[in-house]
Formats: sequence, structure tokens, C-alpha cells
Amino acid sequence: MKYILMMNGTQANFDSYAKWSKQDIEANVAFMRNFRQELHDSGVFVDTKELAWPQEAKFVRSGADGEPITDGVFPESKEFLAGYWIVDVGSAEQAYKIAARVSAAPGPGGKPANMPIEVRQVLGSHGDLGL
Amino acid sequence: MKYILLMTGTKAGVDTYHAWSKKDVDAHMAILVSINRELTESGEFIATQGLAGPNEAKVVRGVINGVPVTDGIFPESKEFLLGYWIVDVATPDRAYEIAGRISAAPGPGGKPTNMPIEVRQFATHGPKSA
Repeated sequence: MKYILMMNGTQANFDSYAKWSKQDIEANVAFMRNFRQELHDSGVFVDTKELAWPQEAKFVRSGADGEPITDGVFPESKEFLAGYWIVDVGSAEQAYKIAARVSAAPGPGGKPANMPIEVRQVLGSHGDLGL
Repeated sequence: MKYILLMTGTKAGVDTYHAWSKKDVDAHMAILVSINRELTESGEFIATQGLAGPNEAKVVRGVINGVPVTDGIFPESKEFLLGYWIVDVATPDRAYEIAGRISAAPGPGGKPTNMPIEVRQFATHGPKSA
């Protein structure tokens, strides 16, 4: 079963991360690098991606003539995807354990950031999308 | 330039989708399949993934006594990821054009859903660059 572990944050969350000390950021990045290696070594790793910060984020809707209509204005409460991990595990509980490890990544002063990590199952194959 | 196109919706939005007729769902999926095929042929396709419905969604926040702290209660306004496309395109405008095509996929009665598609670039630094 594949699960996606998503780290989301509001613009305010991103702004506060930008104020972390260099030392705190380095500790967090080092944790994330080791974490990825652990997932890989334990055979559950499928993919991970980090997204660019949301300044350039756009919502796109189709216009009447088929032209894309873009909008870059979002409510303050809007949660932006910061990054994700996809893991292939035997149970939802195992996915939650992995998510809890990411959530405990060190934040300011080396304390666990306790970031909320959203855990969702992904559809098993392209067949589910009719592809 | 790699972009991720995110389709999101509230639980209410997902419930609406479940009420579509089979014919409307088939027409919608046929367009998505043809868009994927075009992107593959143009060399812009990287990946696509659909997510399971949000009913089983959990947020995990840290650990207490070795047990992950999970929570499955979300505000009604919460936007859940329904699926995504990753494309490798020459310009942001091309990413918006593809997102517009997805947004124009037919919904009930064959009318475009006009669902908002969030377009984001991948980080181009650090150990996890796309």
C-alpha cells in the first residue's frame, strides 16, 4: 500500500521557517537527508519532492475561450504543499509511524518541530485513473 | 522546468463528484487520459498520481510514548489533495496552459468543471531537488 506524507504550511509558517537560525536549518536539513536514506535502506522509499516556496504559486482555471486564467492571490489560511514523501508500506500504522518521525524533525533550538504531516493513501496503479 | 499541478477539493466537493453519472465520469476520465497521452507524446509528462478519497485522511503530529499522535478531524474548509500531475515544460505559461486544459475537463452535463488547479514549481536547491 502506498501512502503520501505531505508537509503543508501557510505563508506565515513559511515566513517563520525563513527566520530559523542557520544552525537550526542545517540540523533540520541533515535530519531530512538521513531520514530519506533510512526510508531507502528499509525498502519503503518510493519518491520525495520538495516544492518551491509559494510566492510563485498560481491557481489556474479554464476561461470561456479555453485560455488559462491565473490567479496568485490566496487567503491567509491557504495551506501550501511544502514537500512530500511517498512510501510503500504494509499498513496505515506503519505510514503513521514514519510520518511521526518526520513530524519530530528538529526545529528551533533542536526541539522537535511537531509539524503536522498529512497521511493519505495513493491509488495503487494508473489503472485506478483509467490510464 | 518541472512543475506540479495539484487538484484539490473539500470533502463536500468530493461528495459532489461521487454523485456524477457514469457517463459524466467516463467523459471526464477520457479527457484526462487523452491529456496524459498528449503530454507523453510531447515529452513533457513526468508522473501523475490519484489519491484515495479523504475519508481516511489523518494528520500525524509527533509521538507520545512511542505512539504516533494521529487526528482525523478536519475543518469543513480543508482542501484535500485529490491528485497531481508532474510536467517538465519550457515556460511557466505552458504549465498554466496544461492546468487550464485539466480545469476545462468536462463535468456534469459535459460542461467544464473549471476546477482550480494549483501550479507550483519544484525547489531547485538542496538535496531533494526535483
